[in-house]
Amino acid sequence: MEQPDWNKLSPAHLWRDWIAKSEAQWSEAVSQLLKNEHTGEALNRQLSEMQLMHRQFSELAQASLAAANLPSRSDFEALDERMGRLEDGLAQVAAGLSQLSQALLAFSASPASAGAAGSTTASRPTRNRKPKPASATPKTRG
Amino acid sequence: MTVSRPSPAPLAALPGLPNPVQRTLERMGLPGTDFANLTGPLGATPKDTIYAQGTLKLHHFRPLCDSVYRVPVLIVTSLVNQPYILDLVPGQSMVEFLLRQGFDVYMIEWGRPRKAHQHLTLEDHVLDRLPACVQQVLQHSGEPELSIIGYCVGGLLSVLWAALCANPRGSQVHSPLKNLVCMATPVNSDGLESLKTWMGEDFDEEALLAEHGNVPAEWVQNALRALRPFGKVAGAMNLLNQADKLDVVRSNLRMGKWESDNIPFPGGVFRQMVNDFLRHNRLMNGNWQIGGQNVDLGAIRAPLLHLLAQEDHITPYASSRDLVQRVGSTDRQELILKGGHVGLVAGRGAEMRMWPALDAWLSPRSV
Repeated sequence: MEQPDWNKLSPAHLWRDWIAKSEAQWSEAVSQLLKNEHTGEALNRQLSEMQLMHRQFSELAQASLAAANLPSRSDFEALDERMGRLEDGLAQVAAGLSQLSQALLAFSASPASAGAAGSTTASRPTRNRKPKPASATPKTRG
Repeated sequence: MTVSRPSPAPLAALPGLPNPVQRTLERMGLPGTDFANLTGPLGATPKDTIYAQGTLKLHHFRPLCDSVYRVPVLIVTSLVNQPYILDLVPGQSMVEFLLRQGFDVYMIEWGRPRKAHQHLTLEDHVLDRLPACVQQVLQHSGEPELSIIGYCVGGLLSVLWAALCANPRGSQVHSPLKNLVCMATPVNSDGLESLKTWMGEDFDEEALLAEHGNVPAEWVQNALRALRPFGKVAGAMNLLNQADKLDVVRSNLRMGKWESDNIPFPGGVFRQMVNDFLRHNRLMNGNWQIGGQNVDLGAIRAPLLHLLAQEDHITPYASSRDLVQRVGSTDRQELILKGGHVGLVAGRGAEMRMWPALDAWLSPRSV
């Protein structure tokens, strides 16, 4: 006889299941509250205050870190900027190399280079694929 | 020289009490394992970067078939999410699926904007960066036309480009746009009630941008989470209840990694999206000017497929349903599939429903 899955009958499992299943209703209720115009205004006020606090705290932290000879957030941002520019540059080099290799492949596949020793043909797929016969598609609108 | 470390003592099991999390951790060789490694490398389908401009990269995925459809596919990803949601891991990747079906796939990765990119606007994306990528795809593939698949904000960018550049009404120039596929693409801000309320006239976007330049990734993440406040809790509970299923745990970790890996919203684009799209709903009102040109959805004449998710809390149906009704295409279709905003493109549901539907629609139109 097959053993029942005791895990599924544990109170913790059932409680978690209930939470997961009723989440949509809870989320909907809170979303309705958040959609309220007054809630929106209050959130925006709080957001402005948070931004002000953020700026003041950043300035304070920056001064303290500079005094302690430690890098601040803006130092890391400057580093991120430089790293990002390096990454962008590398991507451009990679793209250039890819274009070069494609040009070489095209050249090696051309009749002009057919006699060249060691030339290989480009291994690009042919572009003549045909679709499979139509199969059932899901329910549609529109 | 290798240094062997003593393996940490296994967690003490409490006899008689079900502890699926502990069992899973032990089966995985835990504790002490780096959780980030459990996901494996994400977005690892072999590809070449064929074009780069600033933070933007255009990738070409290496074909997996001997013959591909004539028309190449360009995937336009969202500005605020990492593109690897469409290429999570082998077997869980929309890109890999398309390659196996015989499509020649390209993808735009917008990249992570830095302070220097805070002034990038919709004009930069729609009239400069996207057209440049289209040209690169045409040149690289040697074909005169392509199909575009846009996801979320990427879908909106594709729609704007298609309306402005691809097929202007009365134009005699041959359009490079063969097919347009949008996935969960918002076009009507009246359907985005929460975002519209939060970013109403009281919202001071200029103060935010003056402080940060771009909208920080954490803000984007918090705003998206606030659209479904208890979603994370429910996800955690579901995970705990399935913690003895290794594939579920891994899949959840991958999604979690992606969800917490948002990209800052470029300041200039954010300003336009808040003012023109959200507050004044200019796309629906027919008075959205991009680069001095009016965006007219009716100018889109290419075959259009709009894929939507039934339980999408980020792009609700009310915000996306107008697309298929407003375009000028005679060949247009809307598919509403089970699942949420992310489940539409990734995960088991997408594999069973969306990917085959996309293939069935796109393949006969790609020859």
